[in-house]
Amino acid sequence: MPIVQPGKRPARRLQGSKVWGGKMSGGRKATNADLNVVPMVDMMTMLVIFLLQQFSATGEVLFMQKDIKLPDALHGQMIEVAPVVAISATQVVVTGQKVADVADLDRDSGYLNIPQLEERLRDEKKRWDFIHQNDPDRDKNWKGDVNIQADVKVPFRLVKRVMFSAAQAGYFNVNFATLDQSNVEAFQRK
Amino acid sequence: MAGGGGVPEQGGSRGKKKKALDAVINVIPAIDLLSCCIAFLLFTAVWTQISRLQAQSPGAGGPPPTAAEMKQLQVTVALTEKGLTLTTSAGMSAEIPSAGKNPDGGPVYDLRALSTKLKQIKTEYPDQSSVTVAADDAVIYADLVKVIDACVGAGLSAVAVMATG
Repeated sequence: MPIVQPGKRPARRLQGSKVWGGKMSGGRKATNADLNVVPMVDMMTMLVIFLLQQFSATGEVLFMQKDIKLPDALHGQMIEVAPVVAISATQVVVTGQKVADVADLDRDSGYLNIPQLEERLRDEKKRWDFIHQNDPDRDKNWKGDVNIQADVKVPFRLVKRVMFSAAQAGYFNVNFATLDQSNVEAFQRK
Repeated sequence: MAGGGGVPEQGGSRGKKKKALDAVINVIPAIDLLSCCIAFLLFTAVWTQISRLQAQSPGAGGPPPTAAEMKQLQVTVALTEKGLTLTTSAGMSAEIPSAGKNPDGGPVYDLRALSTKLKQIKTEYPDQSSVTVAADDAVIYADLVKVIDACVGAGLSAVAVMATG
């Protein structure tokens, strides 16, 4: 039997009553409140659906850089994992490592290849060969893909040298990175 | 979740208690699951849709052209300061002059006209899929990509890129 303060209190059968029990409660309110979580579940479901649409199984192959603005294209394909050569207005970078300055390349414009780039891509190819050393169809499976992520204003004389160097290293399939506008175009048509 | 209609009296006996049909579903595990999903998807979401335009660099390193490719029509689109030049090995040659100058001083290529002419070639030669894009040194990357995009859009998806001259 709990110890209670002396005074008026309702009979046990009236304690649950809102009419009689409320009078005797002395102004106290119940502290339990049911929170309606259904709208929150709805919102979360919609968020999950939206984020599933943004999901990409290949992950982020190219990272957007401040100094590189990509051109738009309507008929691009899905980008695949391959070594990335980023060409900005000032430098040439391969998978995050700087290989040449554009100013230096403009100075020795008599040459077609970029030796450091070629060497770096050869290393990448050696790594691919090592990973696939037990593959009997290694030569068949070699596609020679390289992704070129260049700024819109980069001149072709630079792209040409990068392409030549890549071809010398065995990467003859060039993928020019673009911003996919096919969805935007389809949306505007509607 | 709550709600439900009134319960019909069963059997008419006054003493029998009615069973409530309402059931509270515990949504807490669902919220947990959705929270985990949202966290995972936020980490893995790709916000910029980047695509690729495939091109081959002819010559060094690449596989030699097959007999079928050799038999195909040779279509070449040249990008110069004056505009676009479309030539084929069948003797066709079309000049598409630039439609003005952009603020940087470079030419504005008439891609619509190029696209129309490429579609005409594709209609005449339905098996044709290869095209060579030859660009001047001064041509900027954006223009090169737009021309390749026009070629792919016209159905000529095997694009080779080379320098003019």
